Amino acid sequence: MNTVTRAAAETIQGGWVLGVMTGLFLVFFVAWTVWAYSPKRKAQFEDAARLPFADGGIE
Amino acid sequence: MDPDRTATQPATGAAVTPVYDDAVVKMFFTATVVWALVGMLVGVIIALQLAWWPANLGLPWTTFGRLRPLHTNAVIFAFAGNVCFTGIYHSTQRLLKTRMFNDTLSRIHFWGWQGIIVAAAVTLPLGLTQAKEYAELIWPIDVAITVIWVVFAINFFGTLARRRVKHMYVAIWFYMSFVLTIAVLHIFNSLAIPATLVRSYPVYAGMTDALVQWWYGHNAVGFFLTTPFLGLMYYYLPRAAERPVYSYRLSIIHFWALVFLYIWAGPHHLLYSALPEWAQTLGMVFSIMLLAPSWGGMLNGLLTLKGAWNKLRSDPILKFMVVAVSFYGMSTFEGPMMSIRAVSGLAHYTNWVIGHVHSGALGWVGMISFGMLYWMVPRIFGREVRHPTWVSHHFWLATIGIVLYTVAMWAAGLMEGLQWRAINDAGQLANPIFLDITARLEPFLWLRLIGGTMYLVGAIMMAINFWQTIRGSGRPVEAAARAA
Repeated sequence: MNTVTRAAAETIQGGWVLGVMTGLFLVFFVAWTVWAYSPKRKAQFEDAARLPFADGGIE
Repeated sequence: MDPDRTATQPATGAAVTPVYDDAVVKMFFTATVVWALVGMLVGVIIALQLAWWPANLGLPWTTFGRLRPLHTNAVIFAFAGNVCFTGIYHSTQRLLKTRMFNDTLSRIHFWGWQGIIVAAAVTLPLGLTQAKEYAELIWPIDVAITVIWVVFAINFFGTLARRRVKHMYVAIWFYMSFVLTIAVLHIFNSLAIPATLVRSYPVYAGMTDALVQWWYGHNAVGFFLTTPFLGLMYYYLPRAAERPVYSYRLSIIHFWALVFLYIWAGPHHLLYSALPEWAQTLGMVFSIMLLAPSWGGMLNGLLTLKGAWNKLRSDPILKFMVVAVSFYGMSTFEGPMMSIRAVSGLAHYTNWVIGHVHSGALGWVGMISFGMLYWMVPRIFGREVRHPTWVSHHFWLATIGIVLYTVAMWAAGLMEGLQWRAINDAGQLANPIFLDITARLEPFLWLRLIGGTMYLVGAIMMAINFWQTIRGSGRPVEAAARAA
Protein backbone atom coordinates (compact mmCIF):
# COMPACT_ATOMS: atom_id res chain seq x y z
CA MET A 1 0.00 0.00 0.00
CA ASN A 2 1.49 3.38 -0.91
CA THR A 3 1.39 6.42 1.37
CA VAL A 4 -1.60 7.98 -0.30
CA THR A 5 -3.86 4.94 -0.09
CA ARG A 6 -2.63 4.22 3.44
CA ALA A 7 -3.56 7.76 4.47
CA ALA A 8 -6.96 7.40 2.78
CA ALA A 9 -7.59 4.07 4.44
CA GLU A 10 -6.53 5.37 7.84
CA THR A 11 -8.77 8.40 7.49
CA ILE A 12 -11.69 6.12 6.87
CA GLN A 13 -10.73 3.49 9.41
CA GLY A 14 -10.05 6.33 11.85
CA GLY A 15 -13.76 6.70 11.66
CA TRP A 16 -14.70 10.30 12.27
CA VAL A 17 -15.64 11.03 8.62
CA LEU A 18 -17.62 7.84 8.44
CA GLY A 19 -19.18 8.54 11.83
CA VAL A 20 -20.30 12.04 10.89
CA MET A 21 -21.65 10.85 7.53
CA THR A 22 -23.55 8.00 9.13
CA GLY A 23 -25.02 10.39 11.70
CA LEU A 24 -26.03 12.88 9.00
CA PHE A 25 -27.67 10.24 6.83
CA LEU A 26 -29.53 8.92 9.84
CA VAL A 27 -30.82 12.41 10.61
CA PHE A 28 -31.92 12.82 6.95
CA PHE A 29 -33.68 9.49 7.06
CA VAL A 30 -35.52 10.18 10.32
CA ALA A 31 -36.47 13.72 9.25
CA TRP A 32 -37.75 12.47 5.89
CA THR A 33 -39.79 9.72 7.54
CA VAL A 34 -41.30 12.21 10.00
CA TRP A 35 -42.11 14.51 7.06
CA ALA A 36 -43.76 11.70 5.06
CA TYR A 37 -45.75 10.38 8.00
CA SER A 38 -46.82 13.75 9.41
CA PRO A 39 -50.61 13.80 10.01
CA LYS A 40 -50.71 17.15 8.16
CA ARG A 41 -49.89 15.38 4.88
CA LYS A 42 -52.11 12.33 5.33
CA ALA A 43 -54.97 13.63 3.20
CA GLN A 44 -52.65 14.99 0.52
CA PHE A 45 -50.92 11.60 0.12
CA GLU A 46 -54.22 9.74 0.11
CA ASP A 47 -55.26 11.91 -2.82
CA ALA A 48 -51.93 11.25 -4.50
CA ALA A 49 -52.45 7.50 -4.16
CA ARG A 50 -55.63 7.85 -6.25
CA LEU A 51 -53.88 9.55 -9.19
CA PRO A 52 -53.62 6.35 -11.29
CA PHE A 53 -57.43 6.19 -11.35
CA ALA A 54 -57.94 9.60 -12.90
CA ASP A 55 -56.39 9.32 -16.35
CA GLY A 56 -59.18 11.28 -18.07
CA GLY A 57 -57.75 11.57 -21.58
CA ILE A 58 -58.54 10.34 -25.04
CA GLU A 59 -56.55 7.48 -26.54
CA MET B 1 -47.11 17.71 -34.23
CA ASP B 2 -48.21 20.12 -31.58
CA PRO B 3 -48.10 18.15 -28.35
CA ASP B 4 -50.52 20.54 -26.77
CA ARG B 5 -53.33 19.93 -29.24
CA THR B 6 -56.54 18.98 -27.58
CA ALA B 7 -59.61 17.00 -28.44
CA THR B 8 -62.88 18.61 -29.24
CA GLN B 9 -63.98 20.28 -26.07
CA PRO B 10 -67.09 18.87 -24.47
CA ALA B 11 -69.90 21.43 -24.67
CA THR B 12 -70.11 21.85 -20.94
CA GLY B 13 -66.53 21.36 -19.85
CA ALA B 14 -63.96 24.07 -19.54
CA ALA B 15 -61.24 21.55 -18.76
CA VAL B 16 -58.79 20.64 -21.48
CA THR B 17 -58.83 16.96 -22.44
CA PRO B 18 -55.40 15.74 -23.44
CA VAL B 19 -54.97 13.42 -26.43
CA TYR B 20 -52.46 10.76 -25.56
CA ASP B 21 -49.89 9.44 -28.01
CA ASP B 22 -50.66 5.74 -27.87
CA ALA B 23 -49.16 5.04 -31.29
CA VAL B 24 -45.69 5.11 -29.78
CA VAL B 25 -46.88 2.88 -26.93
CA LYS B 26 -48.04 0.34 -29.51
CA MET B 27 -44.67 0.54 -31.30
CA PHE B 28 -42.73 -0.16 -28.11
CA PHE B 29 -45.23 -2.88 -27.24
CA THR B 30 -44.63 -4.67 -30.54
CA ALA B 31 -40.86 -4.40 -30.14
CA THR B 32 -41.17 -5.79 -26.61
CA VAL B 33 -42.91 -8.95 -27.76
CA VAL B 34 -40.53 -9.53 -30.68
CA TRP B 35 -37.35 -9.04 -28.61
CA ALA B 36 -38.73 -11.11 -25.74
CA LEU B 37 -38.93 -14.10 -28.07
CA VAL B 38 -35.47 -13.47 -29.55
CA GLY B 39 -33.74 -12.92 -26.21
CA MET B 40 -35.37 -15.90 -24.51
CA LEU B 41 -34.75 -18.17 -27.52
CA VAL B 42 -31.03 -17.33 -27.44
CA GLY B 43 -31.11 -18.08 -23.70
CA VAL B 44 -32.59 -21.52 -24.37
CA ILE B 45 -29.98 -22.16 -27.09
CA ILE B 46 -27.05 -21.37 -24.80
CA ALA B 47 -28.66 -23.40 -22.00
CA LEU B 48 -28.71 -26.32 -24.47
CA GLN B 49 -25.05 -25.66 -25.33
CA LEU B 50 -24.08 -25.93 -21.66
CA ALA B 51 -25.89 -29.26 -21.31
CA TRP B 52 -24.88 -30.58 -24.76
CA TRP B 53 -21.91 -28.80 -26.29
CA PRO B 54 -22.35 -29.89 -29.94
CA ALA B 55 -25.20 -27.36 -30.03
CA ASN B 56 -22.54 -24.68 -30.53
CA LEU B 57 -22.43 -25.99 -34.15
CA GLY B 58 -18.63 -25.68 -34.23
CA LEU B 59 -18.93 -22.18 -35.69
CA PRO B 60 -17.21 -19.19 -34.05
CA TRP B 61 -20.34 -17.03 -34.40
CA THR B 62 -22.53 -19.45 -32.48
CA THR B 63 -20.23 -20.36 -29.61
CA PHE B 64 -21.29 -19.73 -26.01
CA GLY B 65 -18.83 -16.87 -25.48
CA ARG B 66 -20.48 -14.83 -28.25
CA LEU B 67 -24.11 -15.85 -27.78
CA ARG B 68 -24.14 -15.34 -24.01
CA PRO B 69 -23.67 -11.54 -24.23
CA LEU B 70 -26.20 -11.56 -27.07
CA HIS B 71 -28.68 -13.23 -24.70
CA THR B 72 -28.03 -10.83 -21.79
CA ASN B 73 -28.14 -7.73 -23.98
CA ALA B 74 -31.30 -8.93 -25.74
CA VAL B 75 -33.24 -9.70 -22.59
CA ILE B 76 -32.04 -6.68 -20.60
CA PHE B 77 -31.82 -3.86 -23.11
CA ALA B 78 -34.14 -5.14 -25.83
CA PHE B 79 -36.92 -6.96 -23.91
CA ALA B 80 -36.80 -5.23 -20.49
CA GLY B 81 -35.83 -1.88 -22.06
CA ASN B 82 -38.78 -1.89 -24.46
CA VAL B 83 -41.12 -3.03 -21.66
CA CYS B 84 -40.05 -0.03 -19.57
CA PHE B 85 -40.53 2.35 -22.49
CA THR B 86 -43.97 0.85 -23.25
CA GLY B 87 -45.10 1.32 -19.65
CA ILE B 88 -43.44 4.69 -19.19
CA TYR B 89 -44.93 6.22 -22.36
CA HIS B 90 -48.34 4.79 -21.48
CA SER B 91 -48.53 5.67 -17.76
CA THR B 92 -46.59 8.96 -17.71
CA GLN B 93 -49.05 10.61 -20.11
CA ARG B 94 -51.99 9.44 -17.98
CA LEU B 95 -50.46 10.32 -14.61
CA LEU B 96 -49.57 13.81 -15.78
CA LYS B 97 -52.64 14.25 -18.01
CA THR B 98 -50.60 15.48 -20.92
CA ARG B 99 -49.30 14.20 -24.24
CA MET B 100 -45.60 13.37 -24.50
CA PHE B 101 -43.45 16.46 -24.94
CA ASN B 102 -42.65 15.86 -28.60
CA ASP B 103 -43.88 13.11 -30.94
CA THR B 104 -40.81 13.31 -33.16
CA LEU B 105 -38.50 12.72 -30.19
CA SER B 106 -40.67 9.73 -29.25
CA ARG B 107 -40.13 8.25 -32.70
CA ILE B 108 -36.40 8.99 -32.74
CA HIS B 109 -36.20 7.26 -29.38
CA PHE B 110 -38.09 4.24 -30.68
CA TRP B 111 -36.23 3.74 -33.95
CA GLY B 112 -32.88 4.67 -32.46
CA TRP B 113 -33.24 2.11 -29.69
CA GLN B 114 -34.26 -0.64 -32.14
CA GLY B 115 -31.31 0.29 -34.36
CA ILE B 116 -28.97 -0.08 -31.37
CA ILE B 117 -30.42 -3.52 -30.65
CA VAL B 118 -29.89 -4.63 -34.24
CA ALA B 119 -26.31 -3.32 -34.13
CA ALA B 120 -25.74 -5.34 -30.95
CA ALA B 121 -27.20 -8.45 -32.56
CA VAL B 122 -24.76 -8.09 -35.47
CA THR B 123 -21.56 -7.13 -33.61
CA LEU B 124 -21.73 -9.55 -30.66
CA PRO B 125 -21.83 -12.78 -32.77
CA LEU B 126 -18.94 -11.30 -34.82
CA GLY B 127 -16.93 -11.21 -31.59
CA LEU B 128 -16.75 -7.40 -31.46
CA THR B 129 -16.85 -6.57 -27.77
CA GLN B 130 -15.45 -4.35 -25.03
CA ALA B 131 -15.51 -7.40 -22.74
CA LYS B 132 -17.25 -5.54 -19.90
CA GLU B 133 -20.24 -7.45 -18.59
CA TYR B 134 -23.59 -5.86 -19.63
CA ALA B 135 -21.50 -3.15 -21.33
CA GLU B 136 -20.04 -5.29 -24.12
CA LEU B 137 -21.09 -3.06 -27.00
CA ILE B 138 -18.30 -1.35 -28.92
CA TRP B 139 -17.75 2.38 -28.70
CA PRO B 140 -19.73 3.61 -31.76
CA ILE B 141 -22.81 1.84 -30.37
CA ASP B 142 -22.07 3.34 -26.93
CA VAL B 143 -22.12 6.79 -28.52
CA ALA B 144 -25.43 6.00 -30.19
CA ILE B 145 -26.90 4.83 -26.85
CA THR B 146 -25.85 8.13 -25.27
CA VAL B 147 -27.48 10.19 -28.03
CA ILE B 148 -30.74 8.22 -27.96
CA TRP B 149 -30.83 8.31 -24.16
CA VAL B 150 -30.48 12.10 -24.21
CA VAL B 151 -33.38 12.27 -26.69
CA PHE B 152 -35.46 10.13 -24.32
CA ALA B 153 -34.45 12.28 -21.32
CA ILE B 154 -35.44 15.54 -23.09
CA ASN B 155 -38.77 14.01 -24.12
CA PHE B 156 -39.44 12.63 -20.63
CA PHE B 157 -38.45 15.68 -18.59
CA GLY B 158 -40.14 17.93 -21.16
CA THR B 159 -43.35 16.01 -20.48
CA LEU B 160 -42.87 16.53 -16.74
CA ALA B 161 -42.37 20.25 -17.30
CA ARG B 162 -45.71 20.61 -19.11
CA ARG B 163 -47.72 18.36 -16.83
CA ARG B 164 -51.28 19.25 -15.88
CA VAL B 165 -51.16 17.46 -12.53
CA LYS B 166 -49.10 19.20 -9.87
CA HIS B 167 -48.14 16.18 -7.81
CA MET B 168 -45.83 13.71 -9.50
CA TYR B 169 -47.06 10.23 -8.54
CA VAL B 170 -44.44 7.90 -7.06
CA ALA B 171 -44.12 5.91 -10.30
CA ILE B 172 -42.84 9.06 -12.02
CA TRP B 173 -40.07 9.37 -9.42
CA PHE B 174 -38.97 5.81 -10.09
CA TYR B 175 -38.94 6.58 -13.85
CA MET B 176 -36.86 9.72 -13.19
CA SER B 177 -34.24 7.71 -11.29
CA PHE B 178 -34.10 5.30 -14.26
CA VAL B 179 -33.56 8.03 -16.85
CA LEU B 180 -30.96 9.97 -14.81
CA THR B 181 -28.96 7.15 -13.30
CA ILE B 182 -28.66 5.03 -16.44
CA ALA B 183 -27.25 8.09 -18.24
CA VAL B 184 -24.58 8.61 -15.57
CA LEU B 185 -23.73 4.90 -15.32
CA HIS B 186 -23.51 4.34 -19.06
CA ILE B 187 -21.39 7.40 -19.78
CA PHE B 188 -18.82 6.86 -17.01
CA ASN B 189 -18.44 3.11 -17.46
CA SER B 190 -18.10 3.42 -21.23
CA LEU B 191 -15.37 6.09 -21.23
CA ALA B 192 -12.76 4.75 -23.65
CA ILE B 193 -10.14 5.87 -26.13
CA PRO B 194 -11.10 4.65 -29.62
CA ALA B 195 -8.27 3.00 -31.55
CA THR B 196 -10.18 1.85 -34.64
CA LEU B 197 -13.84 1.78 -35.57
CA VAL B 198 -14.36 -1.39 -33.58
CA ARG B 199 -11.59 -1.30 -30.96
CA SER B 200 -11.04 0.94 -27.96
CA TYR B 201 -9.20 1.04 -24.66
CA PRO B 202 -10.94 1.88 -21.38
CA VAL B 203 -9.69 5.01 -19.61
CA TYR B 204 -9.56 3.06 -16.35
CA ALA B 205 -7.03 0.36 -15.54
CA GLY B 206 -6.79 -2.57 -13.18
CA MET B 207 -8.76 -2.42 -9.95
CA THR B 208 -10.26 0.99 -10.79
CA ASP B 209 -11.64 -0.48 -14.00
CA ALA B 210 -13.15 -3.37 -12.04
CA LEU B 211 -14.68 -1.04 -9.47
CA VAL B 212 -16.23 1.25 -12.10
CA GLN B 213 -17.46 -1.79 -14.03
CA TRP B 214 -19.28 -3.25 -11.01
CA TRP B 215 -20.56 0.12 -9.88
CA TYR B 216 -22.14 0.12 -13.35
CA GLY B 217 -22.98 -3.59 -13.44
CA HIS B 218 -24.83 -3.74 -10.16
CA ASN B 219 -26.70 -0.54 -10.85
CA ALA B 220 -27.77 -1.90 -14.23
CA VAL B 221 -29.65 -4.36 -12.00
CA GLY B 222 -30.71 -1.56 -9.64
CA PHE B 223 -31.73 1.14 -12.09
CA PHE B 224 -32.56 -0.76 -15.29
CA LEU B 225 -34.20 -3.90 -13.88
CA THR B 226 -35.51 -2.60 -10.55
CA THR B 227 -36.52 1.06 -10.27
CA PRO B 228 -38.44 1.41 -13.58
CA PHE B 229 -40.22 -1.87 -12.85
CA LEU B 230 -41.12 -0.68 -9.35
CA GLY B 231 -42.58 2.38 -11.05
CA LEU B 232 -44.61 0.08 -13.30
CA MET B 233 -45.67 -1.90 -10.21
CA TYR B 234 -46.86 1.28 -8.47
CA TYR B 235 -49.03 2.19 -11.47
CA TYR B 236 -50.25 -1.11 -12.94
CA LEU B 237 -50.71 -3.19 -9.78
CA PRO B 238 -53.21 -0.69 -8.27
CA ARG B 239 -54.91 -0.42 -11.68
CA ALA B 240 -55.24 -4.19 -12.03
CA ALA B 241 -56.34 -4.60 -8.39
CA GLU B 242 -58.68 -1.61 -8.69
CA ARG B 243 -57.54 -0.15 -5.39
CA PRO B 244 -54.90 2.43 -4.45
CA VAL B 245 -51.47 1.39 -3.23
CA TYR B 246 -51.39 0.17 0.39
CA SER B 247 -49.32 3.09 1.72
CA TYR B 248 -48.35 6.08 -0.35
CA ARG B 249 -46.17 7.36 2.48
CA LEU B 250 -44.28 4.09 2.60
CA SER B 251 -43.70 4.41 -1.15
CA ILE B 252 -41.92 7.74 -0.58
CA ILE B 253 -39.58 6.22 2.01
CA HIS B 254 -39.19 3.17 -0.25
CA PHE B 255 -38.08 5.30 -3.19
CA TRP B 256 -35.50 7.47 -1.44
CA ALA B 257 -34.02 4.70 0.70
CA LEU B 258 -33.74 2.39 -2.31
CA VAL B 259 -32.01 4.84 -4.65
CA PHE B 260 -29.69 6.05 -1.89
CA LEU B 261 -28.53 2.56 -0.93
CA TYR B 262 -28.38 0.88 -4.36
CA ILE B 263 -25.68 3.08 -5.81
CA TRP B 264 -23.12 1.87 -3.20
CA ALA B 265 -23.70 -1.87 -3.48
CA GLY B 266 -21.48 -2.65 -6.49
CA PRO B 267 -18.29 -3.69 -4.58
CA HIS B 268 -20.02 -6.88 -3.37
CA HIS B 269 -19.05 -8.24 -6.81
CA LEU B 270 -15.40 -7.78 -5.82
CA LEU B 271 -15.18 -9.52 -2.43
CA TYR B 272 -11.82 -11.30 -1.90
CA SER B 273 -10.32 -9.22 -4.74
CA ALA B 274 -7.53 -6.61 -4.75
CA LEU B 275 -10.11 -3.94 -3.86
CA PRO B 276 -9.23 -2.40 -0.45
CA GLU B 277 -10.97 -4.35 2.25
CA TRP B 278 -12.85 -1.35 3.66
CA ALA B 279 -14.40 -0.73 0.22
CA GLN B 280 -15.45 -4.39 0.00
CA THR B 281 -17.04 -4.12 3.45
CA LEU B 282 -18.79 -0.88 2.46
CA GLY B 283 -20.36 -2.61 -0.55
CA MET B 284 -21.37 -5.56 1.59
CA VAL B 285 -22.96 -3.41 4.33
CA PHE B 286 -24.94 -1.31 1.84
CA SER B 287 -26.12 -4.49 0.11
CA ILE B 288 -27.40 -5.90 3.39
CA MET B 289 -29.17 -2.63 4.21
CA LEU B 290 -30.91 -2.82 0.81
CA LEU B 291 -33.08 -5.57 2.22
CA ALA B 292 -35.09 -2.95 4.15
CA PRO B 293 -36.36 -0.73 1.30
CA SER B 294 -36.68 -3.73 -1.02
CA TRP B 295 -38.99 -5.50 1.37
CA GLY B 296 -40.78 -2.24 2.14
CA GLY B 297 -41.61 -2.07 -1.57
CA MET B 298 -42.56 -5.73 -1.77
CA LEU B 299 -44.91 -5.41 1.22
CA ASN B 300 -46.40 -2.25 -0.21
CA GLY B 301 -47.17 -4.15 -3.42
CA LEU B 302 -48.57 -7.24 -1.73
CA LEU B 303 -50.61 -5.37 0.87
CA THR B 304 -52.27 -3.39 -1.94
CA LEU B 305 -54.31 -6.58 -2.37
CA LYS B 306 -55.42 -6.51 1.26
CA GLY B 307 -59.12 -7.26 1.30
CA ALA B 308 -59.05 -8.25 -2.37
CA TRP B 309 -57.14 -11.52 -2.29
CA ASN B 310 -60.19 -13.28 -3.67
CA LYS B 311 -59.55 -11.52 -6.99
CA LEU B 312 -56.38 -13.57 -7.26
CA ARG B 313 -58.44 -16.71 -7.77
CA SER B 314 -59.99 -15.54 -11.01
CA ASP B 315 -57.66 -12.89 -12.42
CA PRO B 316 -54.51 -14.25 -14.12
CA ILE B 317 -53.16 -10.68 -14.54
CA LEU B 318 -53.06 -10.25 -10.76
CA LYS B 319 -51.49 -13.70 -10.46
CA PHE B 320 -48.63 -12.59 -12.72
CA MET B 321 -48.15 -9.42 -10.66
CA VAL B 322 -48.33 -11.06 -7.25
CA VAL B 323 -45.90 -13.81 -8.23
CA ALA B 324 -43.61 -11.09 -9.64
CA VAL B 325 -43.63 -9.14 -6.39
CA SER B 326 -43.07 -12.36 -4.43
CA PHE B 327 -40.04 -13.21 -6.57
CA TYR B 328 -38.84 -9.64 -6.06
CA GLY B 329 -39.00 -10.27 -2.33
CA MET B 330 -37.21 -13.59 -2.59
CA SER B 331 -34.39 -12.38 -4.79
CA THR B 332 -33.90 -9.20 -2.73
CA PHE B 333 -33.49 -11.42 0.33
CA GLU B 334 -31.13 -13.76 -1.49
CA GLY B 335 -29.00 -10.92 -2.89
CA PRO B 336 -28.10 -9.30 0.46
CA MET B 337 -27.40 -12.75 1.87
CA MET B 338 -25.07 -13.60 -1.04
CA SER B 339 -23.23 -10.30 -0.56
CA ILE B 340 -22.02 -11.42 2.88
CA ARG B 341 -18.34 -12.21 2.50
CA ALA B 342 -18.56 -15.78 3.82
CA VAL B 343 -21.64 -16.64 1.72
CA SER B 344 -20.07 -15.06 -1.35
CA GLY B 345 -17.02 -17.27 -0.77
CA LEU B 346 -19.28 -20.27 -1.27
CA ALA B 347 -21.53 -18.88 -4.01
CA HIS B 348 -19.23 -16.82 -6.22
CA TYR B 349 -18.43 -18.31 -9.67
CA THR B 350 -21.01 -21.07 -9.16
CA ASN B 351 -24.37 -21.59 -10.86
CA TRP B 352 -26.08 -20.26 -7.72
CA VAL B 353 -25.38 -16.76 -9.07
CA ILE B 354 -27.11 -17.69 -12.34
CA GLY B 355 -30.08 -18.99 -10.33
CA HIS B 356 -30.22 -15.75 -8.33
CA VAL B 357 -30.13 -13.55 -11.42
CA HIS B 358 -32.88 -15.55 -13.11
CA SER B 359 -35.19 -15.56 -10.09
CA GLY B 360 -34.99 -11.77 -10.38
CA ALA B 361 -35.12 -11.62 -14.19
CA LEU B 362 -37.68 -14.32 -14.98
CA GLY B 363 -39.58 -14.03 -11.70
CA TRP B 364 -39.69 -10.30 -11.09
CA VAL B 365 -38.98 -8.47 -14.36
CA GLY B 366 -40.60 -11.04 -16.67
CA MET B 367 -43.75 -11.69 -14.65
CA ILE B 368 -44.53 -8.03 -13.84
CA SER B 369 -44.02 -7.26 -17.55
CA PHE B 370 -46.40 -10.02 -18.70
CA GLY B 371 -49.00 -8.85 -16.17
CA MET B 372 -48.68 -5.27 -17.40
CA LEU B 373 -48.89 -6.29 -21.09
CA TYR B 374 -52.00 -8.45 -20.59
CA TRP B 375 -53.64 -5.57 -18.71
CA MET B 376 -52.68 -3.00 -21.32
CA VAL B 377 -53.49 -4.75 -24.62
CA PRO B 378 -57.32 -4.57 -24.39
CA ARG B 379 -57.02 -0.93 -23.35
CA ILE B 380 -54.73 0.30 -26.11
CA PHE B 381 -55.96 -1.95 -28.93
CA GLY B 382 -59.63 -1.94 -27.91
CA ARG B 383 -59.99 -5.71 -28.14
CA GLU B 384 -60.34 -8.40 -25.50
CA VAL B 385 -57.50 -10.90 -25.43
CA ARG B 386 -58.34 -13.62 -27.98
CA HIS B 387 -57.61 -16.68 -25.78
CA PRO B 388 -58.26 -15.82 -22.09
CA THR B 389 -57.45 -19.39 -20.99
CA TRP B 390 -54.01 -19.14 -22.58
CA VAL B 391 -53.17 -16.33 -20.18
CA SER B 392 -53.62 -18.76 -17.33
CA HIS B 393 -51.61 -21.46 -19.14
CA HIS B 394 -48.84 -18.92 -19.72
CA PHE B 395 -48.84 -18.07 -16.02
CA TRP B 396 -48.45 -21.69 -14.91
CA LEU B 397 -45.85 -22.56 -17.57
CA ALA B 398 -43.77 -19.55 -16.56
CA THR B 399 -44.11 -20.11 -12.82
CA ILE B 400 -43.23 -23.81 -12.94
CA GLY B 401 -40.44 -23.03 -15.41
CA ILE B 402 -38.86 -20.50 -13.04
CA VAL B 403 -39.06 -22.90 -10.10
CA LEU B 404 -37.37 -25.67 -12.10
CA TYR B 405 -34.73 -23.23 -13.29
CA THR B 406 -33.85 -21.73 -9.92
CA VAL B 407 -34.00 -24.97 -7.93
CA ALA B 408 -31.69 -26.65 -10.45
CA MET B 409 -29.23 -23.77 -10.28
CA TRP B 410 -29.30 -23.57 -6.48
CA ALA B 411 -28.55 -27.28 -6.23
CA ALA B 412 -25.84 -27.08 -8.89
CA GLY B 413 -24.26 -24.00 -7.30
CA LEU B 414 -24.18 -25.40 -3.79
CA MET B 415 -22.67 -28.62 -5.11
CA GLU B 416 -19.96 -26.74 -6.97
CA GLY B 417 -19.19 -24.42 -4.08
CA LEU B 418 -18.95 -27.23 -1.54
CA GLN B 419 -16.98 -29.62 -3.77
CA TRP B 420 -14.46 -27.01 -4.91
CA ARG B 421 -13.45 -26.22 -1.35
CA ALA B 422 -13.79 -29.73 0.18
CA ILE B 423 -10.62 -30.91 1.94
CA ASN B 424 -9.83 -34.51 2.90
CA ASP B 425 -8.25 -35.69 6.18
CA ALA B 426 -4.77 -35.21 4.76
CA GLY B 427 -5.52 -31.55 4.06
CA GLN B 428 -5.62 -32.03 0.29
CA LEU B 429 -8.41 -31.03 -2.10
CA ALA B 430 -11.03 -33.77 -1.97
CA ASN B 431 -11.87 -33.14 -5.63
CA PRO B 432 -8.54 -32.24 -7.26
CA ILE B 433 -9.88 -32.64 -10.82
CA PHE B 434 -11.98 -29.54 -11.58
CA LEU B 435 -13.54 -31.23 -14.60
CA ASP B 436 -14.99 -34.01 -12.41
CA ILE B 437 -17.12 -31.45 -10.58
CA THR B 438 -18.11 -29.77 -13.84
CA ALA B 439 -19.25 -33.13 -15.28
CA ARG B 440 -21.51 -33.67 -12.26
CA LEU B 441 -23.48 -30.54 -13.23
CA GLU B 442 -25.01 -32.23 -16.27
CA PRO B 443 -28.40 -33.31 -14.84
CA PHE B 444 -28.93 -29.83 -13.35
CA LEU B 445 -28.12 -28.20 -16.68
CA TRP B 446 -30.76 -30.34 -18.43
CA LEU B 447 -33.29 -29.49 -15.73
CA ARG B 448 -32.53 -25.78 -16.23
CA LEU B 449 -33.03 -26.21 -19.97
CA ILE B 450 -36.48 -27.71 -19.34
CA GLY B 451 -37.42 -24.81 -17.02
CA GLY B 452 -36.16 -22.20 -19.47
CA THR B 453 -37.97 -23.87 -22.38
CA MET B 454 -41.25 -23.81 -20.46
CA TYR B 455 -40.78 -20.10 -19.84
CA LEU B 456 -40.12 -19.54 -23.57
CA VAL B 457 -43.18 -21.61 -24.61
CA GLY B 458 -45.31 -19.43 -22.32
CA ALA B 459 -43.94 -16.30 -23.99
CA ILE B 460 -44.64 -17.78 -27.46
CA MET B 461 -48.26 -18.41 -26.41
CA MET B 462 -48.49 -14.80 -25.29
CA ALA B 463 -47.14 -13.57 -28.62
CA ILE B 464 -49.62 -15.71 -30.64
CA ASN B 465 -52.44 -14.59 -28.35
CA PHE B 466 -51.57 -10.91 -28.86
CA TRP B 467 -51.12 -11.38 -32.60
CA GLN B 468 -54.59 -12.90 -32.98
CA THR B 469 -56.10 -10.30 -30.66
CA ILE B 470 -54.69 -7.39 -32.60
CA ARG B 471 -55.28 -8.91 -36.03
CA GLY B 472 -58.96 -8.60 -35.34
CA SER B 473 -60.24 -11.83 -33.90
CA GLY B 474 -60.44 -10.40 -30.37
CA ARG B 475 -63.87 -9.26 -29.22
CA PRO B 476 -64.08 -5.43 -29.15
CA VAL B 477 -63.85 -3.94 -25.67
CA GLU B 478 -66.95 -2.08 -24.56
CA ALA B 479 -66.37 1.66 -24.52
CA ALA B 480 -67.13 1.98 -20.81
CA ALA B 481 -64.62 -0.72 -19.89
CA ARG B 482 -62.01 0.86 -22.11
CA ALA B 483 -62.27 4.25 -20.52
CA ALA B 484 -61.95 2.75 -17.03
